[in-house]
Amino acid sequence: MINILIACSIGLPWLGALLVWLIGDKREKAQHWAAILFSVAAGAAAVLMLWHTSAESGLTITMGGVFGDFTFIPDGLGVFLSVIATVIGSLAVIFSTSYMKGETQIGRYYAFVLFFIGAMVGLVLTSNIMLMFFFWEITALCSYALIAFHNDDPKAVKGGIKALIITSIGGIGLLLGALILYVYTGTFDISVFIAAPSAVPAGMLAVLAFGFLIAAAAKSAQFPFQTWLPDAMEAPSPISALIHAATMVNAGVYLLARFFPAFKDVPYWCEAVMIVGMLSALLAAIMALTSMDLKRVLAYSTVSQLGYMVYAVGAGGVFASQFHLFSHSIFKALLFLAAGAVIHSVGTRDMEKMGGVGKHMPFVKWVFLIGALALSGIPVLNGFWSKEVVLEAGLAGGPSWIYGVMVLVAGLTALYTIRCVWKVFFGEARSDYHAHKVEMAMKVALAPLALAALVSWLAVGPFSTLLGTASLPQHHIESLNIAELVHEVLTLPTLIALAAIAIGVVLWLLRAKLEGFVEGLRGLRWAADHSFGFEAINSAVVRVTNSLAETLRNTQTGLLNWNVLGILAAVIILIAAISLGA
Amino acid sequence: MIDQPLFTSLLLLPFLSAPLIYLLGRLSVRKGQDSGMKAARLLTLAALMAEIVLLVLTVKGAIGGGSVQILVGLEAMRFDGIGLILTGLVLVLGVCVTLFSIPYMNKEKGEEKFYALLMMTIGSIIGLGFSYDLFNLWIWFEAMAISTYFLVAFYNEQSASLEAGIKYLVQSSIGSALVLFGIAAIFATQGTVSLEDIWQYADQLGTLGALGMVLMIVGFGVKAALVPMHTWLPDAHSQAPSGISAMLSGVVIEAGLIAMLRVVSMTGKMNGNWAYILIIFALINILVGNLMALRQTEIKRMLAYSSLAHMGYMLFGFGIGFGFGSGTGAEGGFFHMLTHGLMKGLAFMSVGALLYVLKLVKGDHSSLKLDDLNGASRKYPLIAICLSVAVLALGGLPPFAGFMSKWMILVAGVETKNIWMLVAVGFVGLNSVLSLGYYAPIVNRLFKREQSEVVAAAYTRVSWMMSLPIMVLTLAVILIGVWPLLTDFILYNGQYFLLGYFFN
Amino acid sequence: MNLPIPFIVLLAVLSLAGTGFYCLLFTRNLIKVVVALQLIVKGVVLAFVLAGHLVQNESLAQTMAITVIVADTIVAVIGLALAVQIRLHTGSLDLKALSNLKR
Repeated sequence: MINILIACSIGLPWLGALLVWLIGDKREKAQHWAAILFSVAAGAAAVLMLWHTSAESGLTITMGGVFGDFTFIPDGLGVFLSVIATVIGSLAVIFSTSYMKGETQIGRYYAFVLFFIGAMVGLVLTSNIMLMFFFWEITALCSYALIAFHNDDPKAVKGGIKALIITSIGGIGLLLGALILYVYTGTFDISVFIAAPSAVPAGMLAVLAFGFLIAAAAKSAQFPFQTWLPDAMEAPSPISALIHAATMVNAGVYLLARFFPAFKDVPYWCEAVMIVGMLSALLAAIMALTSMDLKRVLAYSTVSQLGYMVYAVGAGGVFASQFHLFSHSIFKALLFLAAGAVIHSVGTRDMEKMGGVGKHMPFVKWVFLIGALALSGIPVLNGFWSKEVVLEAGLAGGPSWIYGVMVLVAGLTALYTIRCVWKVFFGEARSDYHAHKVEMAMKVALAPLALAALVSWLAVGPFSTLLGTASLPQHHIESLNIAELVHEVLTLPTLIALAAIAIGVVLWLLRAKLEGFVEGLRGLRWAADHSFGFEAINSAVVRVTNSLAETLRNTQTGLLNWNVLGILAAVIILIAAISLGA
Repeated sequence: MIDQPLFTSLLLLPFLSAPLIYLLGRLSVRKGQDSGMKAARLLTLAALMAEIVLLVLTVKGAIGGGSVQILVGLEAMRFDGIGLILTGLVLVLGVCVTLFSIPYMNKEKGEEKFYALLMMTIGSIIGLGFSYDLFNLWIWFEAMAISTYFLVAFYNEQSASLEAGIKYLVQSSIGSALVLFGIAAIFATQGTVSLEDIWQYADQLGTLGALGMVLMIVGFGVKAALVPMHTWLPDAHSQAPSGISAMLSGVVIEAGLIAMLRVVSMTGKMNGNWAYILIIFALINILVGNLMALRQTEIKRMLAYSSLAHMGYMLFGFGIGFGFGSGTGAEGGFFHMLTHGLMKGLAFMSVGALLYVLKLVKGDHSSLKLDDLNGASRKYPLIAICLSVAVLALGGLPPFAGFMSKWMILVAGVETKNIWMLVAVGFVGLNSVLSLGYYAPIVNRLFKREQSEVVAAAYTRVSWMMSLPIMVLTLAVILIGVWPLLTDFILYNGQYFLLGYFFN
Repeated sequence: MNLPIPFIVLLAVLSLAGTGFYCLLFTRNLIKVVVALQLIVKGVVLAFVLAGHLVQNESLAQTMAITVIVADTIVAVIGLALAVQIRLHTGSLDLKALSNLKR
């Protein structure tokens, strides 16, 4: 049974991808329906897997050699993330049927969306490290293809290639780690390694652990690789929801959470993870405060919230990180799809040109508000509970100064969220836009997400059991019911965090009186607008590479004499090398 | 079981059919008829098919005895795993290129020469793969070179292709002369040119022997396009007719590499770290190839430069194979040789198909610029998808073949448990990412909505004879990407014969 | 001065190859380039003869030398044919005029 479910949740989207593409762009309606059908079916298969989780390997395809056996294990972590990928993915697909209506090359769009979803499921379910890298790179390929979907827009193409290159550079960390894992444990099976990480000598284990950290940071857009995510905003909005909530960025956190038991004893690894999380959370929150682009604000908030998850893993709170990932996927998908509805209707992403949108789109306003409150960590929405659990875990397992910064970021989160909501939905219209009405398919996708953002935390009991020892023997996650959750959260630290959030809200309300103070922070604002110099580093690397390439091209003079000299030089150098005892 | 007649006919058939093809075509051209030319094309295809049958039968006969290793011998020609890989690759690519060229070369002046020379090239590459002594190796190598000179300069009214042709000729001849000096040096030490004897006496070759080895490595390295002997490659590969570019990049430079490996594999008992020389060449090739390709504006030239990088990946695998006794490394090298042949062949043929419908049809012999590709998917969706698969596979992205072969090479690198190799693996990985910097934009161009002028003005459809080999290769690239074990058998044999001598 | 014959032959090999490579490096004339190639290969032929003499295997050396001469002639013919075409189409045999494919 479980084998069929695994095969379905990976295979159905891929089959759907092929089919949508074969249907051809002339039959757009059929493409929409096929995409919905296959993504929803995959979602159903993934949900069914929830009742069949185990730590035993499910589907196995024997390969051998340097490829290992292609094994899939339906454990709690994998199944949970498959459900997120397929369910939120199918909501994004449903939303797309309205958002992408009338676009050209819709087949390419859906093919890659479905391919993406399937690859993500494969990534989280497989226990073969090479296959994990395989799916990892496929998600990079798909994100590139989708971000650059509008190939005529140079910004979109640039954003797509940037995402591809940065995540692939991070992928080298995973590659090296994967190869080390295989070479020293003699198997591709991740669970064997996690059960006995000491098979890898300490030095190599450190390379492995930090390699995976680099890979995760690049994939989850964490410090210092965060720059690709904002530029990925050139993608159509449903793709942003897919990348931010359902697939891509979760992969990095998943990687850290999956391997945490093996790496936790590597010197400085946990500290490094926490610091990466903290810096990402802090810097992205500041950038979100100054950005005027609606989707960019949301993108920065993703980086910031992922920072919380990464921080939680570093502090030993694997459950906390996954619980926050759960909440985040829901409210961030909600926010992106709602923002997509706004952008689709208003026709711009610039918040400066919005204002008062709420009057025209009350439904979208309310669902966006729910998502925003969850993001800010206002009780009793899901974001509140999970963020508090993260902070508790951080206080318990990490230094208190990092905890302090994370509490500060919670306040900043509230501030930038309320700023964003206000600028878009309230106040007076700042340009004459024409809001269209929200279509049914959009509402169908938004409503369940809004509901889930309100109540998903109630599932903490089953959720903690899902990640429990029965399916993840090395992670030692204890089950937690609602009463225990409430008990755990209602403590002094929570009040501190809530106070920080309240201060954030108050700051917004007092913004008129604080102008002098804001003026004083102009330097910070300038730095934030320039992404704290990381954009400059990126472009410097690109520039240096390009000029190096151009310089090197001069060596191809086209003159035959020169070419002959090359051959003779090789002879002489080789003879010298050999006679010097090489 | 040795099957002498089968093996002999495998070697001779191309050379028997080549003159026949030429005569058939020539006579009909002189009479102004097309029927003879048709027969010549058919004969080319039929001969290649027959070669494939012969190859399969020889392999079957060879493993009939129950043992997995293959060894059939003539005097100096032996049927073994290395030759099998090269022959398999050249025949598959040869059939594809022939089919592709039927519409591509149709009505070109000297079409009959084209097929005859193509057949000779294929025949010499097969011979090269099976050579077991130095002099034979050189003869086949030279035959291969001579038959490709004309093919590179095929458009003999275009000054660019003449320039590429003469550069190729001169540099290749220098390489060939260096090889000959090397052979003379080795011959002067022991009085033998048999690879097996040389292997046996390798520890007594001394300085003169080492000098000979260096000269042969550089000489074959010219053909294998190792930096800094690579300068002929971008010109020749970009100016040749696209089918020939596919052959050159897909298998001719690999044949040069095979010749070099045959020589290096005999140095097992010799002093000197030959393997490290290969690895250093490999790393330089990867870096230079990728950087040179990064800023190119013509697609065929870009693909030509990327061949440098791919030769580097292969050589990296082989270098690890020799240096650390890694079977995985050698297998990875052979695997990448196969996948690169398919991928690069696919890339050149797809580009060729576009070049043909966008420019050549109108008698325009200028090169295809990257800008010309803009929006090509609107009119040629199939070719656009196949070209995208090809370049993404070359960039090493899954689920395509290039990912699997690069993976295998990198596994070998880390398997050495040597810290420097770990660093080298990281370097190779980074370079692979760098290569995406020029492969990925091609895909974006193809799928633009806005069409370039040439695409907008194009009206010709791509004939099925062009699309068929392109589709077959695309499928192969995807299939190997998801089922890498397909090639396991021949890779193992190649590795066995390459390292068997080196380490015994 | 009583130089052994093999040594003289070796000198001849080296000077032929040296002249050839020098020429290849410095001449700008395509015909001279082809001639230079010929010089180098003549050096190769001598080298084979010398090697055969040294190891007392003259018959094999002769076979190889003759094969090299044949192959080399073909290359020279093709090279000159290309030179003719180049002269026809570009009006020049100067290598500088033949360096349009670059970078």
